Amino acid sequence: MGKTVLIVDDSNTMRKIVSRALRQAGIDFSEILEASDGQEALDVLAKNKVDIVLSDINMPNMTGLEFLKAKAENAAIKDIPVVMISTETGADIIDQAKALGAKGAVKKPFTPDLINETLGPLL
Amino acid sequence: MDHAANISEATCEIFSSMVMLDVSPKEARQRTNPAFVKSISGIVGLAGRVKGNLSIHLPADVATAVTTAFLGMDVAEINEDVCDAIGELANMLAGAVKTALDPAGSDIKLSMPSTVYGDEYSLDCAHCGISVLVPFELDGQEFSVELLLAET
Repeated sequence: MGKTVLIVDDSNTMRKIVSRALRQAGIDFSEILEASDGQEALDVLAKNKVDIVLSDINMPNMTGLEFLKAKAENAAIKDIPVVMISTETGADIIDQAKALGAKGAVKKPFTPDLINETLGPLL
Repeated sequence: MDHAANISEATCEIFSSMVMLDVSPKEARQRTNPAFVKSISGIVGLAGRVKGNLSIHLPADVATAVTTAFLGMDVAEINEDVCDAIGELANMLAGAVKTALDPAGSDIKLSMPSTVYGDEYSLDCAHCGISVLVPFELDGQEFSVELLLAET
């Protein structure tokens, strides 16, 4: 049965590019949901059954790290895996994200193969 | 640090892997034109241990062709999609420059990307003494990626 993924990025362009990469990666997704910042992502998670989240870090309103913190404090959604997908992939930032529960990180620019390698073990 | 080599490598990688277009770097130089004409620029600021900005400058017709390839949809003129796409290219380029300047990632902060476009405009960076502009060729046309840094 196909999985549901949530893409969180303030750039409409990047949400389209990530969606395209997911389809090209060959992972069986039945539904791709979108949110433009961390708060919107929390709202989507509250209303939908989501199997995995791909989130940018540097976003207005609520950043990716703030989203991870808020998600970890919500028992209903804290176990949904999150992979960061960002230009911000310095060791310090990734360590912060992992300490807040992120399961991995994909650096922009990325390829569908890299998406597949990172998401595959989590699904 | 060889900023021009970093810019060339990052730009070629981003265009080949994300935009699906091959671009060819030319020799780096300082910007000579005082104004951009019928163009669009995507800009990301750098703050912290290093201050300045990273920008990508494209003539309008190159920007629409790049956006068409990037998004896989026909774009005929500069609109919201083009601004978002060019801003995201600037964001990825700035991320690559930041990684080179600050591998751990905590000493330099990136701004949200912004875009400027119009029939004629100029851009400057106050107190930026280091300027590296790398031109690129794409299907016989040219665009450029520029790094402006304050001297520390």
